[in-house]
Amino acid sequence: MEQFDGKDIMEIMQSDLVRALKKPRKERRWAMAIDLKKCIGCHACTTGCMSENLTPPEIHYRPVKEEEIGEFPNTGMRFLPRPCMQCDSPTCTPVCPVTATYKRDDGIVVIDYKKCIGCRYCIVACPYGARSADAGHYYTGDFHEKTYEVENSGEYGGNFKRKSHWHSPIGNARKCHFCIHRVEKGELTRCTTTCLGGATFFGDINDPQALITKLVSKPNVFKYKEELGTKPMVFYLT
Amino acid sequence: MELFGVLVPTKEKLIATVTDIRKGKGGLPLYASLLGMVVGFYAIAAIFIQGHAHTINTNNLVPWGLQITTYIYFVLISTGCTFVNFFGYIFFPQQYKPFASRVIFLGIMTAAAAFFSLATEMGRIDRMYNFILSPNPSSPMFWMGVWYTCYFIAIVMEYINIQTNKHSNKVMWGAFFIAVITHSTLGSLLGAVSSRAYFYSALLPIYFLFIAFLTGGALTAIVAAITVRQQKMDAAYHLEPFVKFLRIGLGLALLVGFWRTAIGLAGHVDGSEVFALTAANSIIFGLGVALIVPFLMLRMSQSAGWLAFTGLFIMVTQLKTRNDLVVGGFKVPLFRVYDMPEVVHYTPSVYEILVLVASISLVSVLYIVCEKAGLFEIADSKGVH
Repeated sequence: MEQFDGKDIMEIMQSDLVRALKKPRKERRWAMAIDLKKCIGCHACTTGCMSENLTPPEIHYRPVKEEEIGEFPNTGMRFLPRPCMQCDSPTCTPVCPVTATYKRDDGIVVIDYKKCIGCRYCIVACPYGARSADAGHYYTGDFHEKTYEVENSGEYGGNFKRKSHWHSPIGNARKCHFCIHRVEKGELTRCTTTCLGGATFFGDINDPQALITKLVSKPNVFKYKEELGTKPMVFYLT
Repeated sequence: MELFGVLVPTKEKLIATVTDIRKGKGGLPLYASLLGMVVGFYAIAAIFIQGHAHTINTNNLVPWGLQITTYIYFVLISTGCTFVNFFGYIFFPQQYKPFASRVIFLGIMTAAAAFFSLATEMGRIDRMYNFILSPNPSSPMFWMGVWYTCYFIAIVMEYINIQTNKHSNKVMWGAFFIAVITHSTLGSLLGAVSSRAYFYSALLPIYFLFIAFLTGGALTAIVAAITVRQQKMDAAYHLEPFVKFLRIGLGLALLVGFWRTAIGLAGHVDGSEVFALTAANSIIFGLGVALIVPFLMLRMSQSAGWLAFTGLFIMVTQLKTRNDLVVGGFKVPLFRVYDMPEVVHYTPSVYEILVLVASISLVSVLYIVCEKAGLFEIADSKGVH
């Protein structure tokens, strides 16, 4: 198991999470750190996320970008997992005409599936391509039986079954929400728990004792497209 | 206020027109438009019944496609009709007045057709009430909805005033300014998207207004040319304002189109490579074929038939240009993973094309039926010409 100061990182993050949940919501600030040196490009986070949120074809809350780098014989692979950046200054929320997407007190940018009109303006506005439109596709195509794919996903309290195109989340925008339904129950995000390389870290960045706060305060940190002024809350460690 | 015979055709004339149409005396454009409406509305019904997954080719890489193009295209034509009405009354009152009711009627119809297309694009059109229950004043799309409503009311008032021969300068000026605000807001809807270099520009609201003047001018020129021929009016005298509007519209569109392309090509920000990818099309088609060629066509002749053809040419080329603008913003994926292409190509589905056909046919059928039922003769007979 991955260690930090001699302790298992999952145990550290779990205790960080429990401590954070004891605080009022507005005093928390959820953040994620991804150590690119540890990411092995296994896509376990992607598939874990898909099973957690029952995402349909073409919708990936956490894809992993693969790049070949260098010139032969000095070549290698580089991986860049991309969850929603949960920006502190998001570009997606101001453009929503009906306030269906908004930033919570704890910094998570969520979508109210009951309000979303499916205009896709937020998808156009997000500079990270982190939002998707659920048009109503199924992995099982036109098969009559779609038992697994129409189950409640657990997202946003688990009240949404993909029964038809008149039932949310079909017709809505969708995005990563840091598995907030798990986090509020005291469980780490699915991508954190499935990460084989122990490369994903999650916690409350407002907590000076939290592992994530210690990791992101080092100099080897960058934020993706930070120059856009979106203030992303996903930190990449190099 | 009298409804039948003033704002809509009289029952008798409408029945007589429908009888003529049933007897096969409607003319080819009407029957073609009726066929287009039937097929188009079948497609709209299919989109609502089957859902986007089975009917629409937009996806996460190209979230806005031909339906948004159609919306923008028609809403700009509507704005252009309001502009033509305004400048017609201001600068060419005698020459323009016989066409005023037709122009504003088209403005209303094209605005309605735009909404038809938009309705098929929204994922959950049934939740539009959230614009009132849960508004977001920071969103250009919210303001678009507000101003669109005001605009529709303003042009309907203008239409009522024209048809009842009580034309009010206050309403005309109001409609003009609301049109400017509404459709520059539509430009800002795209122009404010900082994540897409192809859209992000303070020039876009101005670009939309200039294009509106051009496309509205083109549609009204077609209608004016046909009316002049049908009613054997003095073509040189009555078509002069429309020729001038088209020339000015082409000049303004060329100016703003050139600078948008040139500044885009000079850019080195993330995503500005789209301008280079689309440069040949933007310059050869967008500026050359769509703007310079019709300008030269107007120099060749100004007869009614040629003006109608030039207007049609502008409308067709501008439709492609609108699609190039909307889809161009999505050519380069923001985050390329898995099997995403380096350059995204989008082809609209048959259903999307039929939504466009439905919108065109709707405007065409309503105009031709009202024209045949003599709706615009009332205003004409009260006119000065």
